[in-house]
This record gives sequence, C-alpha cells and structure tokens, in this order.
Amino acid sequence: MRIADKMQYNQVQKNISKNRTDMADLQNQAATQRRINKPSDDPLATTRVLASRTEEKTNAQFVKNINQAKSFLEFSDQSLGELSELLVRAKELAISQSNDASANPQSRAMTAKEIEQIYNQAVQIGNRKLGERYIFSGFKTQTMPFNIAGEYAGDDGDLKVQTQKDQFLAVNLPGSKVFMGKGFEVDGMVRPGQITPQSIDDLEGIKVREQESKQMMEEDQESKIQLRGPANAGSPNHIGEKDPTNGDAGVNIFQVIKGLEISLKTNDKEGIQNAMDMLDQSLSQVVLGRSEVGSRIMAVNGSQDSLQKAIVDNKIVASQLEDADVFKLVSDINKTDAALKATLDTSGKMIQPSLLDFLK
Amino acid sequence: MSKISSMMDVGKRSLSNAQTALQTVSHNIANKSTEGYSRQRVDLVTNEPIGSGNLRIGMGARASQVSRVNNPWLEKQIQREQMNLGQAETKADALGRVEQVYNEQGTKGLNHQLNEFFNSFRELSNTPESLASRTMVRETANTLVGTFKNMNKQLKDVQTDLDGQIKTTTEEINQISKEIASLNEKIQLVEIQNVPANDERDRRDLLVKKLGEKVDITWGEGNNGMLTITAGNTAILVSGTSANELKAAHTDERDRVELFYRSTDKGSLFNVTNQFRGGKIGGALEVRDDIIEKHLDTIDNLAYRLADEVNTAHEAGYDRYGKTNNSFFDLPKDIKGASETLAISEGVQLDAGKVSVAARPDSPGDNTIANIIGSLQYQKVMDEGNSTMDDYYISQVGQIGTISQRAVKTFESQKNILDQLTNIRESISGVSLDEEATKMIEMQKAYDASARLIRTADEMFDTVLNLKRL
Repeated sequence: MRIADKMQYNQVQKNISKNRTDMADLQNQAATQRRINKPSDDPLATTRVLASRTEEKTNAQFVKNINQAKSFLEFSDQSLGELSELLVRAKELAISQSNDASANPQSRAMTAKEIEQIYNQAVQIGNRKLGERYIFSGFKTQTMPFNIAGEYAGDDGDLKVQTQKDQFLAVNLPGSKVFMGKGFEVDGMVRPGQITPQSIDDLEGIKVREQESKQMMEEDQESKIQLRGPANAGSPNHIGEKDPTNGDAGVNIFQVIKGLEISLKTNDKEGIQNAMDMLDQSLSQVVLGRSEVGSRIMAVNGSQDSLQKAIVDNKIVASQLEDADVFKLVSDINKTDAALKATLDTSGKMIQPSLLDFLK
Repeated sequence: MSKISSMMDVGKRSLSNAQTALQTVSHNIANKSTEGYSRQRVDLVTNEPIGSGNLRIGMGARASQVSRVNNPWLEKQIQREQMNLGQAETKADALGRVEQVYNEQGTKGLNHQLNEFFNSFRELSNTPESLASRTMVRETANTLVGTFKNMNKQLKDVQTDLDGQIKTTTEEINQISKEIASLNEKIQLVEIQNVPANDERDRRDLLVKKLGEKVDITWGEGNNGMLTITAGNTAILVSGTSANELKAAHTDERDRVELFYRSTDKGSLFNVTNQFRGGKIGGALEVRDDIIEKHLDTIDNLAYRLADEVNTAHEAGYDRYGKTNNSFFDLPKDIKGASETLAISEGVQLDAGKVSVAARPDSPGDNTIANIIGSLQYQKVMDEGNSTMDDYYISQVGQIGTISQRAVKTFESQKNILDQLTNIRESISGVSLDEEATKMIEMQKAYDASARLIRTADEMFDTVLNLKRL
C-alpha cells in the first residue's frame, strides 16, 4: 500500500485522540466513582437508578411517618393504661363498698369523693394532648374532646398515616370509641378502620356509603323503644348497657363512673353492685382499645424494619448499577495509559524519519 | 541520418522536461498539507521518431500534460459519507445537550422534585394542623414549578442554539455555492483548451464535500465540466456559472428559523425546510423539530396532568379556614406549554393556610386530602391510565439516554468509515515526501545528463569545425 505523509499524520492524530478520549472518560469515572455520569452511559440502568432513588426517598418519608405514628400510638397506649388503672381502682372501691360488712353510709360518702376524683382524672386523660393535638378527639385535634360533664366534642375521624406504599394506618383512637363505646363493631371488636381513600373517587364512594349507613342508623334508632321519664334518666347504671335503648356495643365510661359515684352517695348497694359489672365492661373496653393500639404499634415496628431494609436494598441496587468498579477502573486506566504511551512513542518514531534526512 | 543539431535539440527538450517535472515536484511538496489536494505528475511521452533509411531514430520525450492522481468515484463516496457524518455529528452534539437537561446524576432534577412534592404532602399528613407543614408543601411545590420551567427553558435554549447553527450554516452554504459557481467558470475556460484544470477541480471537489457536510445535496457534472448542485429536492444551489442562495429566517407561525429558496432574483420564496434530512442542517432540524418538540410535549403533558389531578383532589378538600373548592395550581389553559405556564394559585401562594388537607370542614386533624394527593404518586394517571407520573418521566429519561447513545455510536462509526475512506484517498492522491524526494533526485540526474548531452553535442560540433584547420 502506498503510504502518503498525510495518512501517517492522520493516523497518529486519530490514535492519540482516541487514547486521550478513553483516558478522559476513565478519569471522569474515577473522579466521580461512578460508571454512569449521564443517561446515555447506560439508559436502562439510569432509569432503574432513578426508580430506586425515588423508592428510597419515599421509604425514608414512610419511616418519618412511622416515627410520628409511634409516638402518637405509644402516648395513646400509656394514657389508656392509666385509664385502666383508674378503673381497677374504682372497681376495688366499689367491691369494698358493696356490702355492709366492710362499709357503711359514711364510708360510702367518703369513697364517693374519691370516685369523683377518679372521674376527673378520667376526663383529664380524655383530654390528653401530644404537642398541640388532642389525641382523643378524632379529626378535631384542636378541640378539647370532653367537658367536665363527659360530653364529647370531637368526631369519629381516624388520623391515617401512610406507612408503606398502598398501606395506611390510623394513629389514633377517637374518644367516642374508647370512652363512649361508639363505633365498635357489633361483635365488640375494634377494626383498623375503613378503607383509606386514595383518590377522589374513593373518597366520593366512601362519603356515599357513610351517608347510607347514617341513614340506616337513624332508621334503626327510630325503630328502637324510647324509654322516657324516670325509667331512662333515673337509672344511670343501665346507661351504656346493651339494651334496646342504646344501639352501641360498648359502654360510656364516664357515665359508669358517674353512676358509681351517685350510687355511693345515695347508698344504693344494688347500684354499686351493678356498677361493678359495668366497670368490668369498661375495663374490657379499654383493654380492647389498648390491644388495638398495641397491635398497631407492632404493625408499624414491622413496617419500619422492612422499610429500613428496603432503603438499604435500594441503595445497594443503585450503587451496583451506577458505581464504578474501582479495581476494574484502575486496571483499565493502567491499560489505557500504557496504550497512550506506546502510541506517543511509536508516533514519534513514525513521523520523524524521511528520505530527506538521509540525503547528504 | 542522425544530426548533431537534433541531438542538441533532444537534450534541450529533455532539460526542459526535467525542469517541468521538478517544478511539479516542488508544487506537490508545497501542497503536501493542502486540504483536498491531489498529487500531480507530468505525463512524459516519446516524440515521434524520425525515419531515415532503415533507421527510425528516437527524438526524445516531451511532456504531454500535467495530470492529477485521483479517483473520482472514491471522491463521490467520501462526499456521501461526509453528509452522513455532518448529520450524525450535529445530532450527537445537540442530543448531548438535551440529555444534560435530564441528567440527575449529581444534580436534583424533576424526578427528585416530583418525589419531594409528594413527600411534602405525606409530611403534611403527619401534622395537618401545622402551618409550617403547609408552608413546606407550598415551597416544595414552588421548587417543582421552577424545575418544570427550567427544563422547558433549557430545552428551548437548545432549540434557539440550533436556530443559530442553522443560520450560520446557511451563510456558509451560500459562500460555498458562490465559490463553486466561479470555479465552474474557471474550469470550463481552462478545459476548453483540452488541458485538465487540476487545482481548480481539487478545490471544487473539496467544496462539494464541505457543502454535503452541511446539507443534503445531489449533483452531476455536465459535458462542459460544470457541476449542477441541488439541495434537498428542489433548491438548485449551483447551475453552471450562477449560484442561488438559501435564506434562513424566523417565521411568524412558530418562532423558529426556517429555510427558504428563491429560484430567480424576482421569484417568490419557497419554504424548503422539510426537504432537508441530511448534513448538519438535517441533523439540527431533526433534533430541534422532532426530538426536542416531543420531549417538550411530554413535560407539558406531565405538568398539566399533575396540576389537574392535584387540583381535583385539592378542590374537594377544606382548608384551614373551613373553605372548600380552593385550587392548588393555576391550571394551564392548554396542555401545550403547560410546563412553562404552570403556577401555584394565587390564594395558596399568598396564604399557605389555603392548602386544603381535610375532607371535612373544621377538622384540623383530618389529613384525608393530603393522603389522597400523596397517593397520586402511585396512581396511573399518565398514558391513558397505563403509567404513574414517575414511570412516565423516568421512561423519558431512558428514551433520551437511548437516543443520545445511539447518536454518539452512529457518529463514531460514521467517523470511522470516513477515516478509512480518507486513508484510501490519501493513499491514492496524497503526497509522499519520500516519493517526491526520489523523483527530485531522478529528475535532477536527468537534468544533469541532459546538460551533459548538450555539452557532448557542443564538443562534437567543435570537433567537426576543427576538422578544416588541419
């Protein structure tokens, strides 16, 4: 083949520039420690890196949500624990005052004072705040849920928090449920709440269903026997019991305690004995609520563990896809460096000699 | 019968042949680095011998012509590949810049901001009562809107840049067309005397290649040696000795540079933009009008859907003041340009309390709407319900990465093809100093010998003239 001078220069130039380009690329990888520095370096891996980064950050947010939920749930648990202790104390007092062997009208009147204190404490527990939020008032976190008469001003809202993709968890128990026994299922079980709406269509659907069940409840209420006069107001012990006057499955804890207090004040032994049954019911209602809270805490702990693992997994996936293999990189750099030096060396030899150098 | 005078004559001619050849050697050496130059050589032929009796005596050599060593078919092939290279180069270059708009290795792009936006609603659902969380949501949304605007601007910047490139390239095309037309004239003038116009042809070949690198052309050579060059399908740039101009100008319909052609000075302008597929202009047009437009459409689409879906949820909710039907974004009027016109509604911008979080009025702890907006991230709202916003955007990133990767690979392989062809061309037409040096020695020796011949003839004359004095 005929070799013209320009061919040699072109070839030298091309080879040096190729080696330099390779070197620059490898140097960039070494400096960033990344194999992928722009989408075209590996388009498929880039999309997977982006997706796993999104997932990682969202999971980190879920962990934040869970921490928040945990403090809310743990505080609820602690408050309900105190409430159950109060109820146990109330029951002890009721037992001690239920017969004439260990009690008399004076001691009952004294005990009534203590029960009044217990009542006040129960109301206080109902008005517990975490930060600026009342924990037992449903959605109305800025409204004090219970007044001194034990009337509820909150609503039945479940504060749902997202703990995983497609998974929401209520962090609260509305006061109407745990203190007043409303909203329990017929079998007395507390369920983690209805479906969480994830779109406006869901929300509309839920609103329609709520409306329907409200209507059904009202119709239900209308068909119930309404007791009037002394039969209703005069026997506080019966309020909250599962009787036709009350469609709810649970008891109103405040009214139970209040009933006990009245029975003690009026020296009504039968009333005190009745109240003991009611206190048992109240206690089991609180325990039910507490176990619900406990199971939610367990659920979020589980989620937290799996999320933290997922965060690490995502980091590993992204790293495997985009990080440079340092050993391979260094060996590549050495190889390219050797090639570059060889190119420069041979280039010098190739360009220099010409016939003209040898003519004297 | 041989004559001393004819011997002197042959010597004289031989001297001048050697001189011609040496001069051509010097021309070759001088043009060793001239772009597009083909080495030249002197074609020597023997003179008509003179017959005398039984003898036919050779009368030396003469230089018939100076020709260039060149393969016209190879030149044509190079020209075609150069056109592909021009297109691939511009495309790879421009796509590299488009790709940077989507590059999130190291910078925080739309994917990140979109995720932050949804996470801010998740954070808000933790503390729906707090004004700080609402402000966070608004600020994150502002950043997101800014990112959309910025992407839109960056993509349009690349388009504007390509506009500039098209304009400059068009001016270069017009310059080249003019030069080719004038070379056409020169070549015709030279070659009408049956002498090859070597240097002019080299220059013209080079210019045709350069023209082809810029725009797709077809060309043919007439019997008179003149080239007719057509760009695209109808724009005749060079015909004989006259050149026509392309005109690059902004149009009213869309604020982009388009190309026009006018066949005669007084004729009307035709829009020929759509005719160009190859060369730098073809590459620039493809990236500007096809690829970038499509990507602008997708981010517009994303911005619009986001605004629409978030608004639908947001308007169903209640804000801090128990008011409903607040929009979060100002819904852009058209999908086209939505990424540019997207904005946060005035109400929310002025008062973060107007961010609606609750599904019921006067329920400060109700976070239902925040949860719904957070869940939008997983709803398949794009591509007629086939992909989530994340998927939609990420697939765009993958797409631009793939296109860019392919463009770079095409460019590299095209460059390799051209390098090889250029090597073959140089192997045929390039100047080799060694060869020229050899030729120089050869011709110098021939010159020496010819001079010696003349001296010998001279001495022979002397001998003859001295015969008489004896």
